[in-house]
Amino acid sequence: MSNTWFFYVFFAAALVVAGLAGLLVKRNLIKLFICIEVIGKGISLLLLSTGFAKGNILTAQALVITYIVIEVSLVATALALIINVYRTSRSLDIRRLAKLKG
Amino acid sequence: MIILFVVLPLIVAGVLPLIGKISRRVLPDLLANATLLFLLVYAAVAGRALIAGGAVLQDLPWLGEDVNISLALDGFSLFMLVAISLVGLAASLFSIDYMEHYGAKANFYALYLVMIAGMNGLVLASDLFGVYIFLEVAAVASYALVAFGLGHDELEAAFKYLMLSVAASAFIVAAIAVIFGMTGRLDFAGVAAALKELNAGPVLGVASAFFLLGFGLKAALVPFHAWLPDAHPSAPAPISAVLSGLLIKVSGVYALTRIFLNVFGLTPALSAVLMWLGVISMVVAAFLALGQKDMKRMLAYSSISQVGYIVLGIGIGTPLGIAGGLFHLFNHALAKGLLFLTSGSVQQATGTRDLDEMGGLAKRMPVTAATNLIGALSIAGVPPLNGFWSKLIIIVALVQAGHPVFAVIAVLASVLTLWYYLLMQRKAFFGQLNEKWAAVKEAPFWMTAATVLLALLCVGIGILFASTVSTWIQPAADVLADGVHAVTGSWGF
Amino acid sequence: MVLFSVLAIALKDLLQSAVALAVSSLLLGIIFFRMDAPYAGAFEISVVAGLITVLFILTIALVHKGDEVRESRLANWVFPLVFVAFIVIDALVMKGLLGKVPALASGAETGTFGEVLWKGRTLDLVGQIAVILAGVFSVLALFRKGDKHE
Repeated sequence: MSNTWFFYVFFAAALVVAGLAGLLVKRNLIKLFICIEVIGKGISLLLLSTGFAKGNILTAQALVITYIVIEVSLVATALALIINVYRTSRSLDIRRLAKLKG
Repeated sequence: MIILFVVLPLIVAGVLPLIGKISRRVLPDLLANATLLFLLVYAAVAGRALIAGGAVLQDLPWLGEDVNISLALDGFSLFMLVAISLVGLAASLFSIDYMEHYGAKANFYALYLVMIAGMNGLVLASDLFGVYIFLEVAAVASYALVAFGLGHDELEAAFKYLMLSVAASAFIVAAIAVIFGMTGRLDFAGVAAALKELNAGPVLGVASAFFLLGFGLKAALVPFHAWLPDAHPSAPAPISAVLSGLLIKVSGVYALTRIFLNVFGLTPALSAVLMWLGVISMVVAAFLALGQKDMKRMLAYSSISQVGYIVLGIGIGTPLGIAGGLFHLFNHALAKGLLFLTSGSVQQATGTRDLDEMGGLAKRMPVTAATNLIGALSIAGVPPLNGFWSKLIIIVALVQAGHPVFAVIAVLASVLTLWYYLLMQRKAFFGQLNEKWAAVKEAPFWMTAATVLLALLCVGIGILFASTVSTWIQPAADVLADGVHAVTGSWGF
Repeated sequence: MVLFSVLAIALKDLLQSAVALAVSSLLLGIIFFRMDAPYAGAFEISVVAGLITVLFILTIALVHKGDEVRESRLANWVFPLVFVAFIVIDALVMKGLLGKVPALASGAETGTFGEVLWKGRTLDLVGQIAVILAGVFSVLALFRKGDKHE
């Protein structure tokens, strides 16, 4: 496990945490989704760097590619939801979506 | 050909939108339900023969080339497949009538079949990443299905569900990355063997914690449950039925159980964590269910509570406990599916989910009232229905394993469950007929047919519980009780 | 790259956020290339920096009043604070922790990437098709015209 690997995992963790923190505090729906994207980046970096460290870069690539495909479907669905939310309630503020309580 | 379970729904789903252009109602209804019926029959009839000789592994050649599609069907997978097909079929039959006024039925069925394909793929997958992919397949399909009605509440619920679900996925993939980093393998057999060699202690604990976070969120265990009481009530009734009855169990409980019991091996620490999570969910959600006025919201909290039972049972780790947990999984899938379907019938007839506004519906909707009662009593654990037996087994297992306090709590929670269900039944169906509902009629044919089917199963399994347990539950429990051996022994590819 | 990602979250203007995200993806793709993962890098750049950014900008255009959401003042300093705190703790702790991760030496990887993807992880491909179908149907369902449920 070389030094570079440590860096990669460190950055990946930083990305994921940034995204999670953003999810907790941000209010704009689209911003929230950007947070989700950032988390996704962190995870793909983690996957690939783990594969890199083990010498299994090919398998890791296959995993990351699959993960990216999943991410695209997710983005499409989420943005479709966001657009619909905007149409029905004219706002992108998550506080407005507080009608239902957990 | 086990791969049919995944591929058949996908192919039909792919074709459905085209067919939907030609025939808006009849053909999509027919195709979707026929597919599910076929899968159910295949699982129930052929499945047992397939696994008679131990786990079945499929390495398929494709177009002459040796590709590696490894699917594994063992007692546990088969058990889940049957559950998925049963409840899936019932909800699908229900949709024939219920989804009429939503429009775009072909599209609905297409998404629905993709979700079923995802769930089937999950239980048949034999490596960690495969589990993840199909989990996402089912999840992405489910977001749109929850929001299908495009009303404000539905969209809000779907978005929140999505957000939390994505966080869960991140944890799951992180855990997979850790495991991959340690062992260099992804398949169950390889990982299990490698972990035994490694003695990975704390890092394994980290990976387990991540898995617990991720799958616990999917299963809606307390304290990760916040998304469920919004998502399940807002979704169209058949979707609520599948989400509560199947999805939280397949993508939550099944995945968790498979990984913890067959790949990692159940340690005492893990067992304790699972049992505590189970108990907390069981009790907290039961209390939260009491105060609910919205019929489906009460059912949603009840789902969280019952999943607590299931996890508690499995967490005990003894063969009896696991069997009880699995049996309860099955029973709850049937009964909760049934209850969400009847709530859909009520909602369609009266236009409301508010229990205080209902009353005396039994006079106008006798069949629905009866099936609802059966479902409610089943979950509450009243003999001789199926829920009684599964709860009994869990409680006995608790006592046998030396946890009398948990057993007492489980019994008390059961009483609580009975109470709020009887409350629901009384408010909605018994009592004086509210004048507003003087003109309502019984639910349309397919809706009642689906609920009657599930109700009959609840009663039938309750009466025939011994044979059900030995035929379906025991093989599944055996696989799990075997722990890591089940996977390393016969699954080595 | 991390900087751009954080910027993407923190920036007020949505369009600038989207651009920051795109740049971040680009940089990530380059990192992938440097890790001997050309396929992943190409995919990341073309799909995430390309396709997803386009979808984002499309959405932002459709909800052009969206940037009127005022973030809470709390968020404005909690987020950077949490992030910086994590970075500091992580920097100190991670290297030691990671060194302790036990790992099996893995065998040499055989085959080309094509073989690994098409033959080694074929079921994943079925899953990919499934998830694409799910996404397509979701979008179709969510954007349909006509009878809606109230």
